[in-house]
Amino acid sequence: MKLIAKYNRVTIPIIISILLISSIGYYFILHRILIYQLDKDLRIEQNEIIQHLKETDQLPETSDYKDQQISFHPTNLVELKDKYSTQDVYNRREDEMESFRRIDFLVTQGGKYFIATVKKSQQETEDIVRLILMVTFFIIAMLLLILFISNRFLLSNLWKPFRNTLEQLNQFNFFSKNKIALQKTDIDEFKELNETVLFMTQKLTLDYQMLKGFTENASHEIQTPLAIIKNKVELLSQSENLTEAQINVLQSLNEAAARLSRLNQSLLLLAKIENHQFAHIDTINFSSMLIRYIDNFDELAQAKGLSISKNIEEEVVLQMNESLAEILISNIISNAIKHNVDKGNIGVELNKKYFRVSNTGPELRTDTAELFGRFKKESSSGDSLGLGLSIVKTITDIYGFSINYDYKKEQHVVEIIFNDLAIE
Amino acid sequence: MKILIIEDEKALSESIADYLSVHEYNCEVAADYRTAIEKIEYNTYDCILLDITLPGGSGLKILEQIKEDNKTDGVLIISAKNSLDDKITGLNLGADDYLSKPFHLSELNARIAAIIRRKNFDGNSMIRFGNLCVDTQRKSVTVENNPVELTKKEYELLLYFVSNKKRLISKDAIAEHLWGNEMGGNFDFIYTHIKNLRKKLMDAGDADYIKSVYGMGYKFTDQ
Repeated sequence: MKLIAKYNRVTIPIIISILLISSIGYYFILHRILIYQLDKDLRIEQNEIIQHLKETDQLPETSDYKDQQISFHPTNLVELKDKYSTQDVYNRREDEMESFRRIDFLVTQGGKYFIATVKKSQQETEDIVRLILMVTFFIIAMLLLILFISNRFLLSNLWKPFRNTLEQLNQFNFFSKNKIALQKTDIDEFKELNETVLFMTQKLTLDYQMLKGFTENASHEIQTPLAIIKNKVELLSQSENLTEAQINVLQSLNEAAARLSRLNQSLLLLAKIENHQFAHIDTINFSSMLIRYIDNFDELAQAKGLSISKNIEEEVVLQMNESLAEILISNIISNAIKHNVDKGNIGVELNKKYFRVSNTGPELRTDTAELFGRFKKESSSGDSLGLGLSIVKTITDIYGFSINYDYKKEQHVVEIIFNDLAIE
Repeated sequence: MKILIIEDEKALSESIADYLSVHEYNCEVAADYRTAIEKIEYNTYDCILLDITLPGGSGLKILEQIKEDNKTDGVLIISAKNSLDDKITGLNLGADDYLSKPFHLSELNARIAAIIRRKNFDGNSMIRFGNLCVDTQRKSVTVENNPVELTKKEYELLLYFVSNKKRLISKDAIAEHLWGNEMGGNFDFIYTHIKNLRKKLMDAGDADYIKSVYGMGYKFTDQ
């Protein structure tokens, strides 16, 4: 949820309820004031009648106007307090109920008691209250609308530096030469954020460089002794008159050293890919690269009696690192050859949507999803390190390609679905 | 043929010198930056093996110096760094080839031979062994003047054997030479290639030089 939405979700109900409660209160107060005003008018009328009686000793004439009616009824009562009340009367002319405010009070005329009643229509009062309320509601609605719109514009403007920082962070890359450039802002919170971001990225870059250095150094340190072992074994193998036992020892040494060096290289490659040391993006013709690799392995496949069927669309051009593309292709193709059966087949399919390689091979014993993990391998033979597919997976992850491994109808199928962004 | 080995690891430079000396190379060793610069200044070598990380300075600097002096020595970078940047920088600076550690001595030897062949292209591009003749320029092979039709990999294999004649070559070295790292450790495929190559050479004129050495690999020899 957006901050503004969250903010609105809290503030708008509060504003609305405050306005509602206050307008209800407002209505009652206003109503009360206007009734009080009406009652005052009625009292003036009452005074006039009493005055009239005093002066003339005659009851004034009853009147029946639309907004004011005066009437007298004889009564047996000798004492009555002035009584104000509201009464709804049916108005025949308008065919509706009409509210009246009335006062009943006792008057005497010629020794007789009468109840005098003065009624005044409340209609106008009600109309005024209604009008005022409508204006109020209109103002509330306008206020809310303006608040909503201005919040939207004002806040999105206020958040601009934040968005800019976010965008810069998204584009942050250890390799790009241009440093992170944050927008200047006079808002303290964002200033603080930018300072932290700058500090963090500088620290990260430093850590990354150290890590890169470490990886390189580790590589150097391990490769050199490995090279010495390998070369000494090779030299020793050149000697004449070796016994069979010695040959066996040398061969084991040779195999172990070879395996160790491949392992070291693969692990370094993984580390380098994960550290984005192959960030350089090239425009590569995946189709021709694939064909070149298949040709390179062609004799190998023939030696095993494998038939390769190709369905390769021309000019599949991808935006990715050239070395990584080569590693991806050669890993998948060599896997399809290595883990095949005699006189088996390999199917290679490439188009702008996917790259699919299927091959015959012995049934899988492990879960297909687990094959992408490190050191997951089907056979315990020395020629498989269990890192090939893991490397492939790491490469596909970098470019947002999805990869699937399936075993169906005695066919192993590796399928890589390209990301639209990488396709040119 | 004079070779300069610029490598600070003594055990490694010794192995290299040992292996190369059999192939009639005269090897000198420089173990640090200063010695290397001095040797290059006063001598000319057919091929210089250059490690990048050296005590006293970077191997790439030495390479720059060689090119600045307009020397025509062949340069083969042997680096443990295995980093793409170094490879590209090295080749851009004018190195002839790049080999990352750890490598097979037979591979190193074949690469040196290729560099020297390229450097002396005005000379003989023919390699003879017994009644076998490899024309490295035309990439063709004859046995007693009978042409032998080889596939690309078979030719590469034969050239590798010829470059490392009379030496034992491990199966692993062959696998890596032909198909790179991905197929390393996988020897099933070598047998077929060797079998085919041997058959073609035999058919052309009884040139049976490929000897299988039990458990170890192969040897290209006329003995």
